[in-house]
Amino acid sequence: MEQELWKRIRIALLSLIFPVLLGGFLFWPLLSLGLESISGDEGALSLALYKEVLLSKHYLSSFWNTFLLSLLSTLIALVVCIPAGIYIEGDEGKDRKLLAVALTIPLSLPGIVIGFFVIITFGFTGVVPKLFEILTGTRRLAFAYTFYGMLLGYVYFQIPRVVLTIRGAVSNISQDVLDSARTLGASTLQTYWYVILPTLKPSIISAASLSMATGFGAFGTAATLSRGYRVVPLEIATAFTENFQPKLAGAMSIILVLITTLMLFGINKLVDLDKRSRGEGVR
Amino acid sequence: MNRQDPKKLIPKDQIRGIGRLFAWACATMCLTPLILVFAVSTTQVWQRGPWAGGFTLKYLVQGWNTISPYAWFSIKLAFLVLILNFIIGIPTSWVLARHRFPLRNFLFSLTNVPIAVPGIAMGLALIITYPLLRRNGFLLVAGHLLYTLPYFISSLTPQLSESSVQDVEWVAATLGANFPRRLIYVIYPKIRTSLLAATIMVVTLSMGEFNVSFFLFNPQNKPLPVELYSAYITGRIEVAAAITLCFLCFVVPAAILLERLGGAKVGNA
Repeated sequence: MEQELWKRIRIALLSLIFPVLLGGFLFWPLLSLGLESISGDEGALSLALYKEVLLSKHYLSSFWNTFLLSLLSTLIALVVCIPAGIYIEGDEGKDRKLLAVALTIPLSLPGIVIGFFVIITFGFTGVVPKLFEILTGTRRLAFAYTFYGMLLGYVYFQIPRVVLTIRGAVSNISQDVLDSARTLGASTLQTYWYVILPTLKPSIISAASLSMATGFGAFGTAATLSRGYRVVPLEIATAFTENFQPKLAGAMSIILVLITTLMLFGINKLVDLDKRSRGEGVR
Repeated sequence: MNRQDPKKLIPKDQIRGIGRLFAWACATMCLTPLILVFAVSTTQVWQRGPWAGGFTLKYLVQGWNTISPYAWFSIKLAFLVLILNFIIGIPTSWVLARHRFPLRNFLFSLTNVPIAVPGIAMGLALIITYPLLRRNGFLLVAGHLLYTLPYFISSLTPQLSESSVQDVEWVAATLGANFPRRLIYVIYPKIRTSLLAATIMVVTLSMGEFNVSFFLFNPQNKPLPVELYSAYITGRIEVAAAITLCFLCFVVPAAILLERLGGAKVGNA
């Protein structure tokens, strides 16, 4: 009896370590950031800052830009990485291990380094514009500092995230089912549409929500590449370090955190509910 | 549908073929910049083209001299963060893997929460709430710890909860081995691979962390990526590339080793 009690106390203590850390260094700071951003001049409750952010053309366009970059980079990464992930986890091909390593490397690179990669490839003195000049005489394709350069950088850091998530689920696609599809005469497109994508649906959704959230929070890539194309994390940094408006930066951070959290946890909750309502358990 | 001649369309091979093509396209995109960084950093005058004016190592020497103090600081920081990950992450993974208790699922979701919070927001919240802790570097450590713990826990928990590990441990326990002996002789050898993977993951993530550090560093003690950033904004492209190459020499081998050990975790939030 006493032993059981000790065991319970031990479990309680061990399981409290992480929540205490999280409370002290994440929840409490975020909460005080939130409180700070809704307190007016005389300590009264005020949503003026949120109004300022959500009604100003400038900040709204930053939110729109962030959304557009995240969405497009996620879509491109999904289209390219789903087939790639299927190949890497398949049962044939000697290059699969090499490819697996190559596609994981971007995961450990900070966003600023990825931004620099775009600069040396498509910047003013980048390799591609130079090659273009040698071949045609005019320097073109130096788009590193535009929307397309940023999009390229964003796709770069999405690749490992999507590939790793998809790879985790590819074993669910049974080779027999693929063979059956083949003997029934399904085309490649039909096999993708009716067999592969439905099987991978849960992991595609979690890959998409992970990369959308990553795109919304990306700061380093945008900081190195942006010349006028504003995204929300840049606005936060500018508001805090250049314009000395910590409260405004706080309000934008709170909105950003709400968006990314909803994306990661909300979407996964929806997938769970969907699974449960259709009676699919854990596979 | 082409029922008459199934051999004419071979979707399985086509799926493999398309996958291979896309995988190689991605790999080319991921690896080409690494080669370019090497080319830029060893060229005398990059403006005039690759290796214009000849091959040189002077930018690499110059780059290393610029960043070595920051590199040492980043390494020290990463190891401190790693030790704290061990102290906090191992008990948490242990509880998650070995015990069924109320709110276990809740604790499991909690371990993924830091992934959902953008680094820049985490940094801002920390600096505004605890402004006095910035100077001694405490905030930097806290930020990096929060940022790495989810990955550490999610790489360690699955292997700890494997039934084969638990069975062997149970056998050892019935043979009279006490907990410390089981930990050293039974559990540690069984989870060594994932512990190593988790370690590499934490060290590389911390070495490359920029978003959280951006608000939290203090000017005397800059982490490596913060110094990299100022090189990108102000420096010559050759020097910036040389510094990047030094940084890649730390990070890329670690990433390769990590994949060989069974793969990175992206956090299953």
